Amino acid sequence: MNNYDVIVVGSGLLGLSTAYHAQKSGARVLVIDRGSVAYEASSRATGYLSLRADDPDEAPLAGMAEKLWDTLDEELGYPTEWTQKGRLWVAFSDKQVEELKGTYKAFTRADFGFELIDADACRKLIPILSPETRAGLYTPRSGHANPQRVSQAFAWAFQDHGGTILEHTPVYSVIEEAGKVKGVKTKSGDLYAERVVLCAGGYNAKLLEPFGVLFPVATVRLEALVTTPLPPMYEVGFIGLNGLSIRQTRRGNLHANGGPHEWVDVDADSEPNKPNTPIVRNLVRRMIEAFPVAKGAQLLRTWAGVLDITRDQKTIIHRFDHPEGLLVAAGAGHGFGMAPAIGIAMSELTLNGATNAPIKGLGLERFSTLSPNWKAEKQWHAGSYNT
Amino acid sequence: MSGKRIVIVGASRLGCEFALAARAAGHEVALVDEHPQELKNMSFDAPYFYGSGLPASLSDETAAFDNVLSSNEPLLECVENEVDVKVGVVAWGAFHNAANSQHIGTPKVGVVSREGNELLEYDALVLATGSRDFVPSFKGWELPGVLGGKAATKLLVSYQCFNGSNCLVLGTTSLAVEFARAARERGLDIAGFVEPTSAFRAGQADEAWAREQGIPIHFESVILEASGTDKVSSATVVRLDGEDDKSEVTCDTICVAIAELPNIELPAAMGCGLEFAEAIPAWVPILDANFQTTVPDVYWVSTFNDVDDQVARALAAIDGDESRSAVQQKRTAEGTNPAEYINLWVSKLSETGGTGVILCQCETVTRGEFLDLQPPRYLKSGLRHPHDAVTGGDVGPKISQDLLKRMTRVGMGHCQGKRCRDEAAILLSQRFGVPLKDIKPGSYRFPVRPIDMALIAAEDDDYHTREKWPHWMHEEVVPESVAGSAQR
Repeated sequence: MNNYDVIVVGSGLLGLSTAYHAQKSGARVLVIDRGSVAYEASSRATGYLSLRADDPDEAPLAGMAEKLWDTLDEELGYPTEWTQKGRLWVAFSDKQVEELKGTYKAFTRADFGFELIDADACRKLIPILSPETRAGLYTPRSGHANPQRVSQAFAWAFQDHGGTILEHTPVYSVIEEAGKVKGVKTKSGDLYAERVVLCAGGYNAKLLEPFGVLFPVATVRLEALVTTPLPPMYEVGFIGLNGLSIRQTRRGNLHANGGPHEWVDVDADSEPNKPNTPIVRNLVRRMIEAFPVAKGAQLLRTWAGVLDITRDQKTIIHRFDHPEGLLVAAGAGHGFGMAPAIGIAMSELTLNGATNAPIKGLGLERFSTLSPNWKAEKQWHAGSYNT
Repeated sequence: MSGKRIVIVGASRLGCEFALAARAAGHEVALVDEHPQELKNMSFDAPYFYGSGLPASLSDETAAFDNVLSSNEPLLECVENEVDVKVGVVAWGAFHNAANSQHIGTPKVGVVSREGNELLEYDALVLATGSRDFVPSFKGWELPGVLGGKAATKLLVSYQCFNGSNCLVLGTTSLAVEFARAARERGLDIAGFVEPTSAFRAGQADEAWAREQGIPIHFESVILEASGTDKVSSATVVRLDGEDDKSEVTCDTICVAIAELPNIELPAAMGCGLEFAEAIPAWVPILDANFQTTVPDVYWVSTFNDVDDQVARALAAIDGDESRSAVQQKRTAEGTNPAEYINLWVSKLSETGGTGVILCQCETVTRGEFLDLQPPRYLKSGLRHPHDAVTGGDVGPKISQDLLKRMTRVGMGHCQGKRCRDEAAILLSQRFGVPLKDIKPGSYRFPVRPIDMALIAAEDDDYHTREKWPHWMHEEVVPESVAGSAQR
């Protein structure tokens, strides 16, 4: 009854994507979560595919994800609202133009096409851009989807293949015997599997502590909002150098994310508290500065999520030799778009011990000299507040 | 004496009573009330179900202010007693230090008026947010002329601005009779009462009044359909016991006065713990013996709290006087077993009206599409949809409305579920056999009313916020807009 081939801890997008692919490959998979499906990072994501053109280790995985997105609706059988019209970074001041040029330089290290464009070209892509627009950095690749739909699509598709999701069930530890994983200890008793995949965001660190692993992830609370629906205006993913990302949803709402960011702790027993703060008013102000037409809309809904940032802001995909059968994955604040690829990589690593997905350089080895005090040193410890 | 800063949300009878008592005790009191609302904001059907047939004369704001104030005597008394009365002001959010949000400083309420927004710091926050209409769907319920009993009474008595002249009333509750009496006093006609049981719910005296007035009472009946081209012109009433026994009732207004439910958006969204009160039936804030919610210094006073001296008790707690004996919290709603009454309406309307009736007006989703968990029509069709709304394994809630709204968008429209969330939960309960208390309600979010972007935008975007915001990984700065100037 309580035996599975694979137990995935965490029902966020990474966990669900991993579970979906493993179940589809024939394994019996359980996804377990202390809270509800996709209620932390996955419900707060902007919904962009981040082409990590500045990072030679991540760029190939992002490229793999890009191809998967094209057919994801058909693959899963549920709508994701994927739109591939590119992404546009926009500068609104001379200072931001300089930053944009720096970003451009970093992005040319990979072979995704990026170009610096002038204000008029920016307005061809987003006609509602402010008159203050100075310049943009555009890539026709990349795109965006509805994060809640995507998470739910993976969850339902996983269940359609016979997978099981257990919500509201805290996991306290990974059970190990003689160097091998045996399962997990939960609030509702022990559950057994010879392979356990940790996709629990910041809580990964706590589950890995007993194995002497310093897992370099910090959790941060971020806020998001949507306006009432507006007529269709643009389709690219907008990133303002004034500090917020805005996409227009298929329904017409403007959906925005941005700082500041409060670093938090997570525990085993409950979904972290995710309150909004008055800072949503500053987000609104920035949205109006970028898109003056937003003045004509209403603020409809705000919410917050927690997401996980790794020490080097790069994805972690790792399979442990000791104990055998233990694996871990973490996004790094931009895991959403890469999740379809990460799920395949994790599923293959879990079931076969190897994968053809381009995950070189994404293991934990790169942190071998990490200071145990890294969070405090970086001011990423709980309670620290960054704008 | 040095008074505390008390902010009261809601100039209801209880809100005003609290304000006066707190002033008398020497506190500094601000009383915030969203009425008179702007006409366009009323179209979001909050706090009441105004429907789409609002009179254009409501746009005369001077008249609206005069009428709303002059019809609220306790509020005028508050003005005279130096309560800082803020009318036409929405308390859109409230903020306090809590887990994962440690930089708020002094607790504060976000308020927004026609001019802009500000944050009011408080020592105690009293939520007297009143109740709202429960209006289940039926064919034609989106037509101008359909509105809730609370909305109808408010428009008639407070705004003194009402479009209809011949009103069919659904339900025979005290609210239904209150509206009917107010309407008759103003010379309007009541085309009838529609009641699914064989008893007049408000009681014999009110039933006798209705008969004396010559108002037809359709017992053991529900509405099948509201008809009209651009406005309600008639209603089809169907008997539940007879076979296909329908009658047409001529009317220009359909007042739905089946039940009222507590307004909990603000306490829910600010993180007050909730519990399900079977007697109402609705989610309400968990309260201690002094009506304090689980958030410190936040109190909830309500006619749904079945205690006479709640104002005195809560005020004593704010004053630090804990001498009063503990009181058992009881929740009540008008009449016997309102839960059964609400359930009866929803199930009979569903049985007679079928699955094709629009459940979610904002997103145009039918009952059938919702219960089958269909994606919305603007997404491409032909994809699968899950066939079972029940989740959660053997622990936790059995159905999550949040999960369903992600798929169907029911509850995600501009009314934010104010029209549909309760009926949606009841329909789920009836369809999947899960008790209402096991249906996790959709999250409540700030702002509790949609707010013009230009009004909610921060004016106090200080230098640090402005310059440091985009570089959030690197430096620690608490912006003034979060902490307030005192915390810097």
